[in-house]
Amino acid sequence: MKKNRLALYIAIAVFVSVCGGIAFSQEDIRTVADSAFDVRQIMRPPVRFLHDGHNEKAQIGDCNVCHHAYDEKGQKTDDSSEGTECSECHKPETPENTLALTRAYHLQCKGCHAERKAGPVMCGECHVK
Amino acid sequence: MGEPAVKIEESKVVADEGLNRGMERLTPEKIEKVIQSVLKSETGSRLKVYVDTCVHCGLCSEACHFYLSNEKNPSFSPAGKVKQTLWEMLKQKGKVSPEFIRRASEIASTECNLCRRCSMYCPFGIDIAYLMLVVRRICHKLGVTPQYIQSTAHSHSATMNQMWVKEDEWIDSLMWQEEEAREEFPNLRIPLDKEGADIFYSVIAPEPKFRAQLIYQAAAIMHKAGLDWTMPSTPGWDNSDMCMYTGDNEVMGRLKKAHFESAMKLRVKRIVMGECGHAFRSVYDMGNRWLTWRMPPVPVTHAIEFYAELFKAGKIKLAKKYEQPVTLHDPCNIVRGRGLHEMARYVVNETCEKFIEMEPNREHNFCCSAGGGVINCGPPFRNKRVEGNKVKAEQLFVAKSKGAKTVIAPCHNCHGGLEDIIHHYGLGMELKFLGDIIYECMEK
Amino acid sequence: MHGLYNFVSGPMVWIAFILFIGGCLYRLVSLASLAKEKDTAVYAYMDFYYALRSIFHWIIPFGSENMRRQPLMTLFTFAFHICLICVPLFLFAHVVLWKESWNISWGFLSDSTADVMTLIVIASCIFFLVRRLTRPEVKFLTNRSDFIILAIVAAPFITGFWAYHQWAGYRMMLILHILSGEIMLIAIPFSRLSHAIFFPLTRGYMGSEFGAVKNAKDW
Repeated sequence: MKKNRLALYIAIAVFVSVCGGIAFSQEDIRTVADSAFDVRQIMRPPVRFLHDGHNEKAQIGDCNVCHHAYDEKGQKTDDSSEGTECSECHKPETPENTLALTRAYHLQCKGCHAERKAGPVMCGECHVK
Repeated sequence: MGEPAVKIEESKVVADEGLNRGMERLTPEKIEKVIQSVLKSETGSRLKVYVDTCVHCGLCSEACHFYLSNEKNPSFSPAGKVKQTLWEMLKQKGKVSPEFIRRASEIASTECNLCRRCSMYCPFGIDIAYLMLVVRRICHKLGVTPQYIQSTAHSHSATMNQMWVKEDEWIDSLMWQEEEAREEFPNLRIPLDKEGADIFYSVIAPEPKFRAQLIYQAAAIMHKAGLDWTMPSTPGWDNSDMCMYTGDNEVMGRLKKAHFESAMKLRVKRIVMGECGHAFRSVYDMGNRWLTWRMPPVPVTHAIEFYAELFKAGKIKLAKKYEQPVTLHDPCNIVRGRGLHEMARYVVNETCEKFIEMEPNREHNFCCSAGGGVINCGPPFRNKRVEGNKVKAEQLFVAKSKGAKTVIAPCHNCHGGLEDIIHHYGLGMELKFLGDIIYECMEK
Repeated sequence: MHGLYNFVSGPMVWIAFILFIGGCLYRLVSLASLAKEKDTAVYAYMDFYYALRSIFHWIIPFGSENMRRQPLMTLFTFAFHICLICVPLFLFAHVVLWKESWNISWGFLSDSTADVMTLIVIASCIFFLVRRLTRPEVKFLTNRSDFIILAIVAAPFITGFWAYHQWAGYRMMLILHILSGEIMLIAIPFSRLSHAIFFPLTRGYMGSEFGAVKNAKDW
């Protein structure tokens, strides 16, 4: 009996990891990353983020929903800013404005999730240990 | 209806007519009405904040000699006493039983000396003595006060002095002491009603009644120091005040008014008072406040401060120093109540060969357990008072083992309390006022 | 879960802070006016210098005789209060939330420091609980409200610690954490936790009476 059960567990574990592997490999972007985040200084684990899966689930078609762009006057434009690192505009840690980049990310992700009542909003839901 | 939190065995209930008869006269309606009226109209922010702030941490316990002497029985801890009295009254909104009031009066009047040591141990500085006074006030208004102290309060009310001393007896006593003293100091006078004198000397009524030699000694000191002094011949000469301790604030006000007015009538520069603690509290702290004087309207000098002045100015010459090693008891009302401990030590060191400190001392000294009117509650509560101050006996014993033979206690109530303690615990130490020592050692 | 989270992290935060700040102000103002009406002596005898002198002696560890007599209690009391105030104010996660909402920020503790400090608060609460249950003089004074107050204080730290480590039931625990923190804030002005705002007043008044009138120390 016991042997059978053990075999079953192993089979499930193998299945899950293989499927997982396949799923991951289909995506290019797996975490929220920005070269401005210093791995040695970050306070929380990086956020796991499956770009295509997310957009599919959230039914987001346009890039500029997230990759927004603004003109000189500070007005939102229809352009999108993919390919530009967030930290180019949302300047990270300066003495006057600490946590600016963190704030931008949080408002962007959490703000949308809270509004739509869908997706993670609590700290540990994204920054999983 | 609120009942006493700690039931006392029948055999241990102290027979006190004042408490028992007072209790019999009570009705639940009267109790509720009086408690409500005192809480509503006579108390305010202090009571409220003290009750709301207490976090029930019990840190005040170690401050209390009753608690320490009664095997750390929590019902004797300062906050424990508040719990058994005020908390319950507040919680029940005044709906407590006559037995509860009897017990509350006993706790507030005979198990707390209002010594204020606990205020120095409470992290919040909650004035537990004040809370006990509120309880006494309620019990006073309900007519449930221990008989003996109530009797002194009646005396205050009828005669303006504590000991039923009649006006002619008072004058007689002064003249008698003057006559006696003139045999030793031929030109000595006890000037009565001298207008514009520098010093108005006031005493407590037990002095003319039982300890007339203290008036003799004071007169001798004044005489040798060449001071311009007087004593009043009319009521107002007594600075004592048991009404302050029974919660009879109205009579306390009358007493202090009479005292201050007799000094003001004589246009004296200041009041100097004998070695008494509670009288000082009444004149300097509580009576003046009841009369809405922030500070006494006539400057008040306690005997210790007065003696220190005389020695600093070189007005008293000593023939010798007191030989026996002495220790000093710091009376609450002039140490925690006026900070005279260093001056007392100065006088002791000026007059005595060898001074041995008691531990703890100064502001942290243990009360004599007689103060706050407790000794005035009389024989029914004597054992509780003396047995409730084992720590004082231990403190004295340590001083004795270091060589102290004489205890100096510059306060009347402390004298009474320490006398009982020394006797009860067989300590065999001699008890003196500072005035006794000065008189004994000065050049005559 | 979203609705619940949005509520406890949105309107409920406003309610909590309004009741906390408003409640504290109300308690202080009503106390001041009651004192003016019934205890004018408080104003007559309050002395700034002596009030501060007394407060100073009572906010430094082992600054008073009684603190020296009760070293363990003193140690726990100070560690508890310091951590209790510092952790919520300087926790990284909290600072980030302030930044998000108000675009303001200040220094924060490292997560491991905050973790240890949280454990200190929890350990102190256990110490207080054991002390309350075992020391006769404390037990005698204890009633149900004392346990409730202790629970109110311990809850945000226990749930916060749990949530930070993302143990089982993370989502529920975080919501409980936020809620218990809010309950504690609201409880401060309206329970005996008000000792936090009244301490300077009671201590200051006793310090003034002892210092300015009675010429004595009160520590």
